Amino acid sequence: MDAWLAILMFATPISLAAIGETVGQRSGVLNIGLEGTMLAGAVCAAMVALWSGNAWLGLSAGIAAGAALSALTAFLCVSRPADQVVVGTGVNLLAMGLTGAWFRSLFGQSGKLFTVPTLPKIGGLDPIAWTVPFLALGAFVLLRRTHFGLALRASGESPKAVEASGRSVFQLRWVGLLVSGALGAAGGAHLALVVSSTFAENMTSGRGFVALAMVTFGRWNPLGAFAACLLIGYLESLQFSLQAAGGGLPQELLLALPYATSLLALALFGRGGRAPAALAIPYRRSG
Amino acid sequence: MSREGIRKLGRMRRILLALVAVGLMGCSSGGGKSIDSKGGSNEGFKVALLTPGPVNDSGWSAMAYEGLVAIRDELGAEISNQEARGTQIRDAMRSYAQRGFRLVIGHGFEYNEPGVELAMDFPDTVFVSSSGGKTSANAGAFRFYLEQGFYLAGAMAADLSKSGVLAMIGGPKVPSIESTFKAFEAGAKATRPSVRVITLFTGQDSDVAAAKRATLEAISQGADVVIHQANAAAQGVFEACREKGVLAIGSNANQNDNESGVVVGSAVIVAKPAFVELAREVKEGRYQGSIRLIGMEKGAIDFVLNPKLESRVPEAVKQKLAGLKEKILSGELIVPKDEF
Repeated sequence: MDAWLAILMFATPISLAAIGETVGQRSGVLNIGLEGTMLAGAVCAAMVALWSGNAWLGLSAGIAAGAALSALTAFLCVSRPADQVVVGTGVNLLAMGLTGAWFRSLFGQSGKLFTVPTLPKIGGLDPIAWTVPFLALGAFVLLRRTHFGLALRASGESPKAVEASGRSVFQLRWVGLLVSGALGAAGGAHLALVVSSTFAENMTSGRGFVALAMVTFGRWNPLGAFAACLLIGYLESLQFSLQAAGGGLPQELLLALPYATSLLALALFGRGGRAPAALAIPYRRSG
Repeated sequence: MSREGIRKLGRMRRILLALVAVGLMGCSSGGGKSIDSKGGSNEGFKVALLTPGPVNDSGWSAMAYEGLVAIRDELGAEISNQEARGTQIRDAMRSYAQRGFRLVIGHGFEYNEPGVELAMDFPDTVFVSSSGGKTSANAGAFRFYLEQGFYLAGAMAADLSKSGVLAMIGGPKVPSIESTFKAFEAGAKATRPSVRVITLFTGQDSDVAAAKRATLEAISQGADVVIHQANAAAQGVFEACREKGVLAIGSNANQNDNESGVVVGSAVIVAKPAFVELAREVKEGRYQGSIRLIGMEKGAIDFVLNPKLESRVPEAVKQKLAGLKEKILSGELIVPKDEF
């Protein structure tokens, strides 16, 4: 039981980011800046928790930072028709640079090991990790069973039809990006406050990019994305067990196991999946 | 294929390219320069440091940066440091040499070969790498014998362990880290031949969560004393040990006062004197290309117990550690180390 709770706990940062990004991509926006958003969430959460001594305050600050970054992205990519890939790349570089510089200015060039206040545990798990399955279910219901979800999905498939029906594509995509940014940053905050109880430069180590892959792996379905994250989480823990057992397999190979397996799964079962038709295409209102 | 289909294909390719680009940039993130000087003019003595990772890693690279700062403070040198990996190494070295830097220190074995090659083109610049096997008139290596500290740590860990299982948690699997792990295992096995030592690598220095997870896995397999070479991710190792109530051993820097309160001792590199001595030789024009082994006898390597947890270490173990130190210093005990 303990081992399964640990898998859920370690999978929570990527799961939050992947669920949020599924909603975002369904609305038609690709948030390549997810890695930077998670990192910004992590550093803001850790620093505010450290100063205030309150992990909840840290979590809120992290989410706010992520929302701010995705608002910037939304302004450029939704309100203005900028290229989403270029802007997202810029957001990643901005976040990596800023968090690193801020961290160095606080703790000196040669760094410091420290701990930050963490969230309380209920039944062996923190409250955020407990909410993730419900969040995945909630996002699924929102997308599939509500009018708003229908409109959101339509803005990712056929924005012109949304506009014709009287809804604003811009508004829907803003919502999609804000959800992606806020949940991505919440994932980063969870990584810093709960999983690691510290901050280290570039501590997300590519989790944002993995989350992007999990959206595809989960076939743009929040429940699918969550399941994909759990699978990766399980494989990561299996990988360490195999390393520890020392069965003679090269450790480099074992480290790649979770990613090799998901690539394989994607190649074998990924055929039914289809990206939203208007994904990553900026919407321009025409006459 | 329809026109729409072709357009989509083009878009996908663009997205993929951008992802690759981001990945590459991620690898070289923080490659920025920082120049820090104390009244140095262009004619002054200039020293540069290249590190494989960010200097705020609280470990390997941080220690070299502190050595560099000591060179500035004690010799009045103008200093500069930069992260450089792979193909960036030669460019960074060349650019420092062209700007008149007298000493370029590359903190890792991977800087040895490029340094020796470039030394021919820049006879007025000295290139020194931390470990590596090649030399020329104005290039060489100095290697910290951290294996000595790890051997002592292993000897103590084997005595402190109740379960007879120890663990070593590493970031990337690189020769320098593997060599220290072998020394730890040798020290442990010399003390207690039946001891089991689990080795886990996370693959990344910055991934605190992975370090914590690896440590939890090792503890679940019975490990009750854990040493690490995880640099910036070390807090993950210590947190896992604190949660599960087992002991940890610090490395590179003295990490005994870590907030987790589980670090019973640290295998330490005291890099400053060696860095300053090297720079002084270069400044005075006395440097001769050579490979130097800098260990316990020079005071550069030590194993330090945490005074707050000393009650956990029986008197007999302390005495044995002192005896082993003695033997290392006298040359009676030669700690195994890999050449790389």
